Amino acid sequence: MSIFGTSTGFGSGGTGVFGSTTSDSHNPMKDVEVTSPPDDSISCLAFSPPTMPGNFLIGGSWANDVRCWEVQDNGQTVPKAQQMHTGPVLDVCWSDDGGKVFTASCDKTAKMWDLNTNQAMQIAQHDGPIRTIHWIKSPNYSCVMTGSWDKTLKFWDTRSPSPMMSLQMPERCYSADVLYPMAVVATAERGLIVYQLENQPSEFRRVDSPLKHQHRCLAIFKDKQNKPTGFALGSIEGRVAIHYINPPNPAKDNFTFKCHRSNGTNTASPQDIYAVNAIAFHPVHGTLATVGSDGRFSFWDKDARTKLKTSEQLDQPITACCFNNNGNIFAYASSYDWSKGHEYYNPQKKNYIFLRSAAEELKPRNKKW
Amino acid sequence: MGVQPSGKKDHSYIENLEKKGIIFTFNVFDSIDQTGTNTMAEGGEVEWELCKENIQPLKKGRDISALREALSHQQEGSSSHINQHKQAFESELRVYEGDDPLDVWDRYVKWTEQTYPQGGKESNLSVLLERAVVRFTEDKKYHNDKRYIDIWVKFAQNGPEPLDIYRYMRAQGIGLQQASFYIAWSEEYENQGNFRAADNVFQEGFKREAEPHERLLQFHKALQARVARQVMANMLEEEEEEEETTAAKPERASLVDLKPRGKKKAVAPINRVGAALSSNQHSLQFQGSQASASSGQNSRLVIFDEQKAASAETSEPKLETWKAPPPSKSKENEQRPEKWSSVKMPMKSRFGHTVLAPPSKPNFQPFVEELDQPPAMTPCKINPAVNSVLSARKPCRSETPLKRLQLHHHPLQTEGAQEQSMYCKELLLSGAAEFCFEELRAERYRQKMAVKLDSSAKEEQAGCGLSN
Repeated sequence: MSIFGTSTGFGSGGTGVFGSTTSDSHNPMKDVEVTSPPDDSISCLAFSPPTMPGNFLIGGSWANDVRCWEVQDNGQTVPKAQQMHTGPVLDVCWSDDGGKVFTASCDKTAKMWDLNTNQAMQIAQHDGPIRTIHWIKSPNYSCVMTGSWDKTLKFWDTRSPSPMMSLQMPERCYSADVLYPMAVVATAERGLIVYQLENQPSEFRRVDSPLKHQHRCLAIFKDKQNKPTGFALGSIEGRVAIHYINPPNPAKDNFTFKCHRSNGTNTASPQDIYAVNAIAFHPVHGTLATVGSDGRFSFWDKDARTKLKTSEQLDQPITACCFNNNGNIFAYASSYDWSKGHEYYNPQKKNYIFLRSAAEELKPRNKKW
Repeated sequence: MGVQPSGKKDHSYIENLEKKGIIFTFNVFDSIDQTGTNTMAEGGEVEWELCKENIQPLKKGRDISALREALSHQQEGSSSHINQHKQAFESELRVYEGDDPLDVWDRYVKWTEQTYPQGGKESNLSVLLERAVVRFTEDKKYHNDKRYIDIWVKFAQNGPEPLDIYRYMRAQGIGLQQASFYIAWSEEYENQGNFRAADNVFQEGFKREAEPHERLLQFHKALQARVARQVMANMLEEEEEEEETTAAKPERASLVDLKPRGKKKAVAPINRVGAALSSNQHSLQFQGSQASASSGQNSRLVIFDEQKAASAETSEPKLETWKAPPPSKSKENEQRPEKWSSVKMPMKSRFGHTVLAPPSKPNFQPFVEELDQPPAMTPCKINPAVNSVLSARKPCRSETPLKRLQLHHHPLQTEGAQEQSMYCKELLLSGAAEFCFEELRAERYRQKMAVKLDSSAKEEQAGCGLSN
């Protein structure tokens, strides 16, 4: 495997445990810094699946690259390899066996990156930038699902240049999640479409949005039997909706909650509302993490409807987050999310990926372990 | 007038336009004349012929190539090309940095008109017009820009109450120097049969020296000619009728209640609204004047046209400025919902004196007829809970585009004080469709790359041979 280009500065190499003595607010939570982070905003993060020994983290960025780090048990991160697109990378995902990584880009293509050979090949093509990419593993087929701003959702057998299926959507794809046999896509103009993936993908239901503002991020959650049962949807205006697909009591079971807002509720000054940039569910506890434009991450228990923790404020928005396969590590990326337009973009500002131990903080409170 | 439900285009509408002397060029016809007969055999020419009743007429006419393309795309169902084009416009709206942002909107509106010949919801034209209009209301430099006024006029014609919009424009000082504003306003009055007001609008235009003067003059003359012609026609018909009254030709009695046939006594109510009303009004009013003028047996029904009578009185455009929003067009005698169950009567004054409490029982016996029974429930065959065919009517949005405009100028204070969005909301929502952060950023990126490509290409041309 090739090491990252040596042109990037390795100055802040090593874990941040020793390095972060300064009092600046880029890492107020004193978490572990991932070495040689991307040179531009980090758009997506994904940890390797449980089928792979060890933990590997993939991150895509607006610098057109996708990087792979090995996260060792002592918290040390080792850069392993990288691949380039000809446009910013918007989403990444792993195959179920961990042998391959799929990347979606603004260059309207998606690529399959074979980690064993470090070769990448194009597997998908859209008319617009590809916003989301997901690997679908079903008993009778496996494919890659890509959602694009060209208002289509396409399913690709990785060996064929043409899609095995293409579904038209009413609007541009903004976010999506897949948990077999369910897929949910959030689109522009507050569209929500649920797909079922059994036998072959097909539209299952369109859901009226529980939120009043633009959809930004989405994550499917599981029930006690480990089956997908609903999704959490984050909006651009500091709110997350928990929505079940077939709830026994829709009025009671579905709810929304406020998050990523300044604590100015009781003061005369207006409350500042930030976008929810990403949502991730803990693979073991079923609790969730949200990260926002305000530079904070929060942990929530949706069943007890309580907040478990809110972080200190970072000096930059948090753009992406994910858990590793056993839920011990929470990774989050601190970089500019374009929430205030290009005037506020500072290319000199360093981007970070932090790793935090998530084993304890995401335990639901009511369970006495 | 602008958008009518597709397929219901009344040919009288077109006649109406022609009558008014509007140059109604349907470029389609021109191009056939030019290309000759042999192109008629080609499939492309027939295609638009098949769906021409669904094509919205535009005053400026349609570009035949754009029309053909639009129709062929619709038949194939491939909208990706249109989507891309639309997306390009949306992006341009947001990253435009020149000194004439209206230009993008202007092109976008014109492209939308050409690309969606049927109009309708998917064209999103009404949203686009509204956003465009709102976007530049603060921008004084566009207030007498012809393109901006054209967008305003289109917006007004799209809405339910064009006159309100025109009055609003005048109150805001938008388009006062533009002939097209007065022409459109006058046309609206004329459509409603209010010729005097239509003329007054022109007079105001002359007074304000709207440009181009020639055009205003030409349309004013055309109006006068039409009015004169109509008066003449009325007089002629009067004479004719007088002659014909002796003949007493059998004629279908129009505009009377239809007699129900059979046992059923149901009479369908005729409620015409919106565009149908205004387009009908012309003929209705004409019939009415005819009926009232002729005193023959045929005219046993004199129609009192309330709107005409009312507008005749208040027709003069008053010149007072319009600061406060106009009264909402809601129902009369509508009771405002207010909570009265919690209203408490003051039982005690501050000094401890008991204020006379309202008697709990009246000291007289209300008369109750003994035989009077409470009305029995009307028997209902269908359990309404089971009936899922009809759903409850959703509360209709009573807000008009004008109200939204005014809201934009005076945003509700209560909402803004408590919460504020910490992102570039205006950038995301500045087009007809919403954008997400990534789309904005991707557009920036694309632009940057295009510049880079361009410059590197130039370098190569210059012979440097260094491509970065």
